[in-house]
Amino acid sequence: MKPSQYQAPLPLDRLILKTGTEGAGDTMELDVCIVGGGPAGLACAIELARLGKADGNDLNIGVLEKAEALGEHNLSGAVVNPRALRELFPDLKDSDFPFRRPVEKEAVYLLTSGSQIRLPTPPTMQNHGNYIASICELVRWLGAKAEALGVNVFTGFPAASLLVDGDRVAGVRTQAAGLDRAGKPTSSYSAPNDLTAKVTALAEGTRGTLSQAYLRWQGVPSENPQIFALGVKEIWETKKPLDQIIHTLGWPLPTDAFGGSFCYPLEPNLVALGIVVGLDYGDAALDIHVLLQRLKLHPLFRQYLEGGELVEWGAKTIPEGGFYALPARRSGDGVVMLGDAAGFVDVPSLKGIHYALQSGIYAARAIFQALKAGEPTGERLAEYDRMVDGSYIVKDMKKTRNMRLAFKDGFYVGGVKAGLMTLTGGMLFGGKIDMHSDADAERLTPGVLKGQVSPGFPGSGTTGISKVDGVFKSGNSTRDTIPSHLIVGNDITREVADFYSHMCPAGVYEQVDGQLRVNAPNCVDCKATDVLGPRWTPREGGSGPKYKRM
Amino acid sequence: MTTVLAVCEQRDGALRKVSSEVVTGARRIADALGGGAEVEALVLGSGPASGADQLGTFGADRVVTLTAAGFGTYAPEGYARAVVDRAKAGAVVVVCAASAQGKDLAPRIAAKLATGLAADVTDVVVEGGALMAIRPVYAGKALLKVKLTGKPAVLSLRPNVFTPVPRPKAGAAQTVAVTIPAGRVTVKGIKAAEAGALDVAEAPIVISGGRGLKEPANFKILEDLAHAFGGRAAVGASRAVVDAGWRPHADQVGQTGKTVSPTLYIAIGISGAIQHLAGMRTSKVIVAINKDKDAPIFKVADYGVVGDLFEIVPALISEIGKLRG
Amino acid sequence: MKIAVCIKRVADSETRVKTAGDGKSLDDAGVKFILNPYDEFAVEEALQRKEKAGAGEVVVLALGGAAAQETIRTALAMGADRGILLQTDTVPADGFVTAQAIAAELKGGGWDLVLFGKMAIDDYNSQVGPMVAELLDLPCVTAVAHLTIEGGTATAEREIEGAVEVVQCSLPAVITADKGINEPRYPALKGIMAAKKKPLEVKPVSLSGGAIEVLAMLPPPARKEGKIVGEGAAAIPALVKLLREEAKVL
Repeated sequence: MKPSQYQAPLPLDRLILKTGTEGAGDTMELDVCIVGGGPAGLACAIELARLGKADGNDLNIGVLEKAEALGEHNLSGAVVNPRALRELFPDLKDSDFPFRRPVEKEAVYLLTSGSQIRLPTPPTMQNHGNYIASICELVRWLGAKAEALGVNVFTGFPAASLLVDGDRVAGVRTQAAGLDRAGKPTSSYSAPNDLTAKVTALAEGTRGTLSQAYLRWQGVPSENPQIFALGVKEIWETKKPLDQIIHTLGWPLPTDAFGGSFCYPLEPNLVALGIVVGLDYGDAALDIHVLLQRLKLHPLFRQYLEGGELVEWGAKTIPEGGFYALPARRSGDGVVMLGDAAGFVDVPSLKGIHYALQSGIYAARAIFQALKAGEPTGERLAEYDRMVDGSYIVKDMKKTRNMRLAFKDGFYVGGVKAGLMTLTGGMLFGGKIDMHSDADAERLTPGVLKGQVSPGFPGSGTTGISKVDGVFKSGNSTRDTIPSHLIVGNDITREVADFYSHMCPAGVYEQVDGQLRVNAPNCVDCKATDVLGPRWTPREGGSGPKYKRM
Repeated sequence: MTTVLAVCEQRDGALRKVSSEVVTGARRIADALGGGAEVEALVLGSGPASGADQLGTFGADRVVTLTAAGFGTYAPEGYARAVVDRAKAGAVVVVCAASAQGKDLAPRIAAKLATGLAADVTDVVVEGGALMAIRPVYAGKALLKVKLTGKPAVLSLRPNVFTPVPRPKAGAAQTVAVTIPAGRVTVKGIKAAEAGALDVAEAPIVISGGRGLKEPANFKILEDLAHAFGGRAAVGASRAVVDAGWRPHADQVGQTGKTVSPTLYIAIGISGAIQHLAGMRTSKVIVAINKDKDAPIFKVADYGVVGDLFEIVPALISEIGKLRG
Repeated sequence: MKIAVCIKRVADSETRVKTAGDGKSLDDAGVKFILNPYDEFAVEEALQRKEKAGAGEVVVLALGGAAAQETIRTALAMGADRGILLQTDTVPADGFVTAQAIAAELKGGGWDLVLFGKMAIDDYNSQVGPMVAELLDLPCVTAVAHLTIEGGTATAEREIEGAVEVVQCSLPAVITADKGINEPRYPALKGIMAAKKKPLEVKPVSLSGGAIEVLAMLPPPARKEGKIVGEGAAAIPALVKLLREEAKVL
């Protein structure tokens, strides 16, 4: 079974609208409209506001964020390389940044079901000089900096469509709020708003809907399709302190899946723990949430978690395609694409936040120059691509261009190849490894893949939690009468419904009597569904999770 | 003489049950203060209130009824004036109920006495001669222990917490006519709450049904049970039955429905999916009625009854009916 | 119509409550702060009254730390005209102390209506509104779930146990809002933009000690282990007895 056969197409007719299309309530004119209040979008806003001020011209900058408050839809490990923050805030010291603590000790283990083997830390995974942080806290801190510079941060306003004028992106239309299940306005209805801007910066994060729409609409190619991993993460208050960051490979992942786990202490007794698995896994019954529940039973982690308390749960996809999945251009007439939305993630070092911030800084500089020169044409904004291509962002990604791709053949072959690539600085296996999109990866139904059948939920025991409990701990309190934001494809079989139910970490999908049941309010916007299943589209502002320290 | 004032409540000339709780609380404070402190139960009305003569049973040394023409229904300003006049005659503590009326009256009394109010108190102690109160904050997720230093100290007691304890005292009745106007705020009437209008998120008692009810029509017995509680109960539902179209969305209790924390939650024929538990586990007391003794709902329930709900619920209706007379 | 709305910045209702190092206050690490939901009703009511009157001013007033400016901005984004922050280090535990500061600010302001939420979802005090009314010598109706104003007379409905009380008073008056009085609006984009430019006056105030002293903030008692009372209808008398005598909820 190939998931792509059951996927609805990207609804371009809804996502790309001609400027002036009917249906907007308020309209507003901005100099720059930034879609997404994450590290990339806020770094762009901050740098841009500063450049404007230095030039004696306060730019009118708006940041649209779909979460109810900044940071609530951000989730990352996170161990952060401070490089880009230092560039963004040259007057601040590392100790001024909202990091939790420097990485002092780290360990990498290969797990088996009952034990672990300590591995030498691969060079790409060495984190000396980096910091443990909560991306939610980082984003809130950046938001305050941006607002102090006069940036308008509009939380609770998801961008639902690109407004276009010929080939030029002219702004965005926001999502309506206050609709009932049937899509009819209720008494608290608020109409979509049109925000027109000279430049629109798409900083939507992983699997951005408008970014996808733009690339499709403009036919922008990439050497390989973008691929994704799904991370499921929990935060625990532990009884026993942890003093090092831990990464693991191996168990409980089946050998045909790429991924691993991480465990970072935000505080000695406040631990972030997660598992990340490539969405090209082969077993249709593989369930990443369940894998995390099993991982927690491993003696390496159990010793910390037992007797502790789960305080938060969340999930998010990560663009893992690397260098070869970068769109040929991340700029166009009136538009630039930043951070995860563009795919700036380096998988071997498990890093993306500093690339996101850095891409925001470059975008701001390119936008500023283009605005000064007059019309921000595609040609002028292509300066952004040139800056990114000449920077450490692309240099880093190029060095590790095939490491993730090597694992499409399975863990062991991939491990050997990746090891050799690391040793030779990417020289060995230097040519491009071709990759298919995740949705085109064949899935084998349970039992077909010998010995690889995913075991079920380990039971509530002391640390295991169900998906609905997880959703509760994500802070998700989406109004349960909003229209479903998920576009389900046609002819969903029992087998596919089962696949969806395992794929989604938030229990959005259930197979009931052979039929697919969709519990749309459970959705935590991780976007795995958009990669492998029903299409995700923006919904009423403030819906989804309310992450605090993810 | 040290006096603790217990501000009682009447409606339609009959004392409300919460009055005996207020007297019980006042008695506890008076005894803890020592020195022969006396409890004066204060009733306000247009004439004597039925049931006032019972207040001695719960520890009132005196029952004083202050009557005025405008005092038949609640008269916020007049009542506050009357209580404050009385308090100024030497009360060290003024105790009200944190009822709908008490929540309105107690702050006025405190303000007129230019002092603070410890509201919605669930426990009182006297330590080293100082009056301390415990009061829930953050929706009951924490308790605050506060010291009351006001002269007099003013507090309101959460209803249904200070169980009336028989503590016979003289209860000498006295009716005093006062010439205090009702004030600028007047009660024009009292409407019965619309039947079924109570929202599950607001109701003090929530009775929820799940798939165990077998069909939509059977929710009638849940409505009957709610009715037996005299308008204080709302009927809720699990997601399963809402999705099946048996009950409206507004009634759904659970993580994607409403989060409720009533005083009493009765789950009937609900197995207890975690998403349902998420919406009701902060309820003060949880009762589960289910035929499956291994149902997860029994893990969060304070009291469980195993068996056929179609037998159990009617028995419960009749028992509650007896209680309410 | 000249309307004052008194609002409070409170911890979100989803907050995981932990006691801070001082043993008597909330540990606010990771806590999201919002405009008290009942105060949202008050702000909405003020806006609707002003819109209906066709003219007037809605002034929001908060007492608290500097961060409460953010909360005032939220109310301004909804449509209030200007804000005043009575800036203090902490919000006092004694509502009367708060009420005195607010009353001092509002005194002589010529308000037609002073609105509050019926209570704050953090301290559950339910008292500042009526106390301010006493201090300003204004009539007051609390916990209003339905309000009509005609010819200078306010008719309000408030929920009481098992019934609804219909209450009347003349304006100017203090009203505290309960759920049901209206459906608060979401700030519009233009409202958010406009809010940044609306006047917000910060006035430092110093407060007296008050008569309520917090000694400790404690966790609620752990939930008791549940029990199966029995099987079938025969268990009902025992259940009702337990609900009455042990749980004390009937």
